[in-house]
Amino acid sequence: MIRSDAIRGHLDAIILRLIYEEDRYGYEISKEIAARTNERFQIKEATLYAVFQRLERKELIESYLGDVSHGGQRRYYKITKLGRAYLRETIEEWNEIKDIMNIFMEGLT
Amino acid sequence: MRKIRSHVEEWFKDIPDSEAKEAMKAEIVQNLEEKVQDLIHKGKAEEDAINKAIVDFGDIADIKEELGGGQAARNARNRYGIHLGFSIWGSALIIGLMIFINFYTSPDTIWFVYPTFGVLWWPLTMFYRWLANKQ
Repeated sequence: MIRSDAIRGHLDAIILRLIYEEDRYGYEISKEIAARTNERFQIKEATLYAVFQRLERKELIESYLGDVSHGGQRRYYKITKLGRAYLRETIEEWNEIKDIMNIFMEGLT
Repeated sequence: MRKIRSHVEEWFKDIPDSEAKEAMKAEIVQNLEEKVQDLIHKGKAEEDAINKAIVDFGDIADIKEELGGGQAARNARNRYGIHLGFSIWGSALIIGLMIFINFYTSPDTIWFVYPTFGVLWWPLTMFYRWLANKQ
């Protein structure tokens, strides 16, 4: 499993992407991340909620309470207009970083 | 399930009360309960499932940082302010005492300036620490 501090700076983008696809709640997001990466990366819930707080404060996402299920009410997150713009920018930036890093990382094993 | 709630209460106990805190606690309890249900479905005993969910949760420090809204930094700034104030008072008293002894015992030789320069390093250090912390 990958070191979590290596991926830390990109957590916002990962979570924004998942919320961009559809409104999701916390546990669903952590399951989705584990499933998509074949369990190669698992986010700690504590980290996840900290990211939610941060994104919400920056007004990149919004939350609302969903229907009652399993005896509790799920809190869903929804991307905002600002969040979409931010995600688009982050993706552009990521492609740039990837290209630059590949110049130095490719070819050696 | 009560065990989950009490664990979450424990994690959050030294975060100042706020609406955001209550909302997050409710959210975490709900999500953990759902996770426990899933684990039980996969064949774990309830006790094991709860323990796993709690252990997997990770380090609460990240959330504290976000919820506290830089509370820790503000506290540090206040503390340095107090250190600075104390150092100013303290050094003023010491210097005052030196001046008094100087003029009371040997008014012909002015020697109190030497210990004064020594003592002044104290508030000076505190001032710059306070300044560095302010930025």
